[in-house]
Amino acid sequence: MAISGRVPLLLLLGLVAVVLRPQAGTVWLWLLGVLLLVGLDRLLTPSPALAVLTRRPPGSVRLGDPASSDLVVAATGRRLHLHVRDAWQPSAGARDNRYRLRLAPGDQRRLTTSLLPRRRGDLRATGVTVRSWGPLGLVARQRTYDVPGAVRALPPFESRKHLPSRLARLRELDGRAAVRVRGQGTEFDSLREYVRGDDVRSIDWRASARNTHVVVRTWQPERDRRVVLVLDTSRTSAGRVARAPGEDEVDGMPRLDAAMDSALLLAALASRAGDRVDFVAGDRRVRARQRLHGARDVAMRLQEQMADLDPVLVEADWDLLAGAVQGFGRQRALVVLLTALEPSAVADGLLPVLPVLTRHHRVVIASVRDPELTRMAALADEEVAAGSAPPTADDVYAAAAAAHELDRRERTRAMLVRLGVDVVDADAGELPPALADHYLALKAQGLL
Amino acid sequence: MTATSTAPTPVTARRRVTRAQLAVAVAVLLALVVAVWSTRGSEKYPGAADPRNPGPDGAQAIAKVLADQGVDVTIARSADAFEEATVDDRTTVVVSSTEQLAPSTLRRMRTHASAAARIVLVEPDFAILQEIDPSLGLLSVPAGKDEAIAARCPDGVAGVGLDGLDVEVDRATSYTGEGCFPTGDRALVRSVDGLVLLGAGQALTNDQVTRADNAAVGLRLLGQDPRLVWYVPDATDAVSDDAVTIGTLLPDWIGPALWIVALAGVALLLWRVRRLGPLATEPLPVVVCAVETARSRGRMYRRSGDREHAARALRRAARTDVARRLRLDRAAPPAAVTEAAARHLGVPVEAVAALLDDDRTTPATDHDLVRFAQDLARLRREVRRS
Repeated sequence: MAISGRVPLLLLLGLVAVVLRPQAGTVWLWLLGVLLLVGLDRLLTPSPALAVLTRRPPGSVRLGDPASSDLVVAATGRRLHLHVRDAWQPSAGARDNRYRLRLAPGDQRRLTTSLLPRRRGDLRATGVTVRSWGPLGLVARQRTYDVPGAVRALPPFESRKHLPSRLARLRELDGRAAVRVRGQGTEFDSLREYVRGDDVRSIDWRASARNTHVVVRTWQPERDRRVVLVLDTSRTSAGRVARAPGEDEVDGMPRLDAAMDSALLLAALASRAGDRVDFVAGDRRVRARQRLHGARDVAMRLQEQMADLDPVLVEADWDLLAGAVQGFGRQRALVVLLTALEPSAVADGLLPVLPVLTRHHRVVIASVRDPELTRMAALADEEVAAGSAPPTADDVYAAAAAAHELDRRERTRAMLVRLGVDVVDADAGELPPALADHYLALKAQGLL
Repeated sequence: MTATSTAPTPVTARRRVTRAQLAVAVAVLLALVVAVWSTRGSEKYPGAADPRNPGPDGAQAIAKVLADQGVDVTIARSADAFEEATVDDRTTVVVSSTEQLAPSTLRRMRTHASAAARIVLVEPDFAILQEIDPSLGLLSVPAGKDEAIAARCPDGVAGVGLDGLDVEVDRATSYTGEGCFPTGDRALVRSVDGLVLLGAGQALTNDQVTRADNAAVGLRLLGQDPRLVWYVPDATDAVSDDAVTIGTLLPDWIGPALWIVALAGVALLLWRVRRLGPLATEPLPVVVCAVETARSRGRMYRRSGDREHAARALRRAARTDVARRLRLDRAAPPAAVTEAAARHLGVPVEAVAALLDDDRTTPATDHDLVRFAQDLARLRREVRRS
């Protein structure tokens, strides 16, 4: 039950009565009168349950794009004067979600709440509150109903901007067929005239003899290779890093989001190149797993898969994830591990299972670097150069810790390279194109 | 370890501030206590002509003298205490601070003291006179110094002979009608309706009791009987409708109107306090600054004062950097890096080795460590530039 602003106003009207009849009894009589009115209104108030609520699901939207949710309110039985609030969790960015409406019996009205998601994932409606007012407008009955609904905010795929340039390079790779290494994974494509710069070893002497020009063989880059994207959602992915050096890490993104961005770009590129893409994400358990082969829009489906993934504060179980990779098939594949180059996490979890993976597959580790760490290690350096105040003892100790950490990372990286793993380590904003370039380089060499 | 010598500085500074604040607080408290202690005696009974007030306005002197003369002096400071005191026909009742008397307390006092030999009111004001006899009037007499007023009443007042005495006070009150110490058609001492009105109340005060015959007037008026009940009334004994209050000046609907406003206020609260549905909560994700571990590790180095470790980490980083700049093998031994750097910069090997060699002395204090870090940074910058 709720009362309206009319009740205090009605009580204040009692001032007139009190001036006319200045006695304590007047106050109580007036209060009694108001209470009687309120009670009467309460008796006549229709139940909020007479309003029937249905929601049309708002579906998926890319993070940063607006969405809207439709709520249909229908009146059954009686005339209703309603006050409705369609509540969403704050990060769904629901605005103007309170409505006043009068409905005749049988009427229905559609309430459109505009949403502007501010976080990736499934953003849920937390309940619809209906306040039904009495005929006098003094009292309302209020109930909150659970009308489930969620808007799925997909990863923004900001690295989309890098896709056209990489696709152009892929086509170039296709047409020129400048495959420097023959053998496995390269297929004969066509013959064309020799131009300067072509590898002389690719000259087809037989064809040249039948022709007035020198003719070279061209090969198509390998197709139908497998790419497995492994997204680590364990504790290391929760770390927030700056997108680019010099930016405050508070404005940055979690490592997981940067890894998603890289995975999306690579998946889009690989599917265009004719490769089959599989995706698995997990930490202690597998959280998402999908074969994307044959899908028309691989990036879109991958976004759907990733939307609801959040970092979890547990250590990754690489045995499990490696098992999931093997589950996609025994055929040789490019396995991209999107994780952090965190020395302790790598040494404890990843190293024991790496030999299993490298025996069957080509393994690439893509790691989001933290520019803040580099900045911290170079702190003393910068400040001397800038001629500003000398560093404090705290800064120097922090720089020492950062230098130590960087050193450990370098060792880890060297060790991984010795194990035959490619390591792509870049800042959050740079990782997607760097990983795509690495993929193109591998493809050009026929190493997939 | 000398780390403890630098780290606690801010702590002691803060403690010194609190100690200063504590000292100020204690001083203020002491001053208060001393002030209260020193003014304790005079402030206890500040009323004019109070039998326990030793100040110039008090009447302790005359009360003491009466007690020494064998008069049984009882002091009542409230209506209840007065009603507990025995008052018979061998008792004199004196009422000082009569401005504190309300009509109701005056009535109570007269009822209880109806048997008394006499009741002396010290300078009753107009309101009380109206209660006693509405036809009475009074006038303030600004009696100057050295202007004694003679009694000139052979009959005395209320059975007390005052003839031949002079009274001399700074300021007195005279009442209309016949009486002793006449000034014009009024008198300073009058007997009305069984009450003695003493207009020259200052004659009893410690300051002026010794002038003229003031002492004799006081002693005769108060010391006639073996018992004296000294009643110092208290305004809080008055019942509520005695006096004019602010309530009687306001319109009579104000009270109920305030009630109405209060009720409306409560209704306003009830209106605004009801939310339209519960608060929407956000399932918050885990957000950690990735660099936080390195930062806290740095703090840990500092707390434990592990300069050796810090210096080694800085040296290794500098060696790696220099080696990369000079295009040396990553696995080059430290000595080779040092030598190459010295050759590259054209400085003695010893100077570079002091910075880059792990076996050299580590900085002894945090200050040295900062200087060391700056030196290393300078070296790296020079290698990079040249």
